[in-house]
Amino acid sequence: MDITILGAWMATGLTLFIFSFLYKDNPLFKLAEHLYVGVSVGYTIVKTCDSVVVNLIYKPIVEHGEIALLIPVAIGLLMLTRYVPKAAWMSRYAFAFIVGVGSGLAIPRTISSFILKQVEDTVRPLLSMAGGDGLTFSMNLFNPASNLNAIIILIGVSSVLFYFFFSIEHSGPGKVVARTGIVFLMIAFGAAFGYTVMARMSLLIGRLTDLIEFSDASYGRPTLWLAIATIGALFLLSRRSSSSPPQSE
Amino acid sequence: MTLSERMLKIDRRIIFLVIGLCTLLPLLYPVGLPIRISPEVRSIYDYIESLPERSVFLLSIDFDPASKPELHPQAIALLRHAFRKNLRVVAMTLWVSGTGMADQLLTQVAQEVGKENGKDYVFLGWSPGGPAVIINMGQDLYTAFPNDYGGKATKGIPVLEGVQSLKDVTYAISLGAGNPGVEAWYVYGKDKYKFELGGGCTGVMAPGLYPLLRSGQLNGLIGGLRGAAEYESLVGQKGRAVAGMDAQSATHLAIIVLVAICNLFYFSLRQQQRRSRESH
Repeated sequence: MDITILGAWMATGLTLFIFSFLYKDNPLFKLAEHLYVGVSVGYTIVKTCDSVVVNLIYKPIVEHGEIALLIPVAIGLLMLTRYVPKAAWMSRYAFAFIVGVGSGLAIPRTISSFILKQVEDTVRPLLSMAGGDGLTFSMNLFNPASNLNAIIILIGVSSVLFYFFFSIEHSGPGKVVARTGIVFLMIAFGAAFGYTVMARMSLLIGRLTDLIEFSDASYGRPTLWLAIATIGALFLLSRRSSSSPPQSE
Repeated sequence: MTLSERMLKIDRRIIFLVIGLCTLLPLLYPVGLPIRISPEVRSIYDYIESLPERSVFLLSIDFDPASKPELHPQAIALLRHAFRKNLRVVAMTLWVSGTGMADQLLTQVAQEVGKENGKDYVFLGWSPGGPAVIINMGQDLYTAFPNDYGGKATKGIPVLEGVQSLKDVTYAISLGAGNPGVEAWYVYGKDKYKFELGGGCTGVMAPGLYPLLRSGQLNGLIGGLRGAAEYESLVGQKGRAVAGMDAQSATHLAIIVLVAICNLFYFSLRQQQRRSRESH
């Protein structure tokens, strides 16, 4: 059998098994779920072994004599001492190395990229200089760099920060500012949720597109046959569970 | 039980069915709704258009098959554009679970346009370390990737001629479905080694990346299937993303209608309960 056709049958079957969860939890869904987890883990282990152990450790040391690589290998192996209680303390050196290097790399870069750059972008002039004519104010909402958007960002950032400032009671004018912060937060959550819906629907579209493609006669119509088989199996499973006697406590 | 109560307790499988039909029917019978190109997608297209031939274009395919419906069409459209512009394509991935898929998609597009492995493009594969790989590539690309995905030594590959590190990359795009992805490429790559960077991401990630776009940390952003459809339209080769846009619009409309109806029944029920309390 052609590998493409076999792949089409596998993909169709597993997609339908996963979709069967929408009806109710069942063994077909469990089978597909466990296969997915197993295959993902197996693939990752094999690829990691091939790329790291063979290509980045074994070949350079044995074939090219890069002895210096034994140092990171030794540090890495110290991690495995976690499984030997008496020698577990040695793994702390490996963890200390990883945490130290990781923090050293991440902290300055993250502060620079996500705090300083973003603060720099938030603090923008509310009015622009326009040549010799003096100051101008651009009202274009669709231009992220317009002065109107700079004001909206200023109000949004200030009010949301105030909303999370709990040392002062949110009453009087403070209540208005905090409420404004909530409005900005709600808009942000709404935008994030809207994008999430779009993403989930895109995944559904992707699977349905494949199912439509695999309903073609050139693949042997796996969508049709496997849909019938899945519905039949669900029907039988539902009959069996309804006819089985209730378990005694 | 009133109508509002019954509707608020409706079997959720009916809603699944409605959403399923709203997705399936436009896929079977497409309408071809117009697709408006957003400035963030156009800026990536314009930047690639402005690059001279044989510029080094780095595509980091930082996703796995779980995000394929959204990011695969983006990758295909970008590769078609890069190959059409005769750029030198250097592809790689920071996700070990995406290596096979990344190799397959690169080979598929390269064969489609008649490009040669090693001469016009190279797939470096995956290297362990996540963000550390980016830093390593910034210092020396050949220590991060001594061999390409096929096991061939990267030193001496014609497509990498004159490329020593990330500083020699003209334009890089990360198509990310999580971490490491677009943010890691900015933090450890662009900010440190000063090359131009664009991003592509899943819909879930897009709102979090817009602040990087506005501040100029990214020069463009392709967000989700919608962004992929826009890029396919710009390249002029409509594919899976454009085909899915009718279904996307229909499901969004269905969800808006369902949310509105649900609110309507909720407020109606609340009013009924208030009235019955007052009458007692």
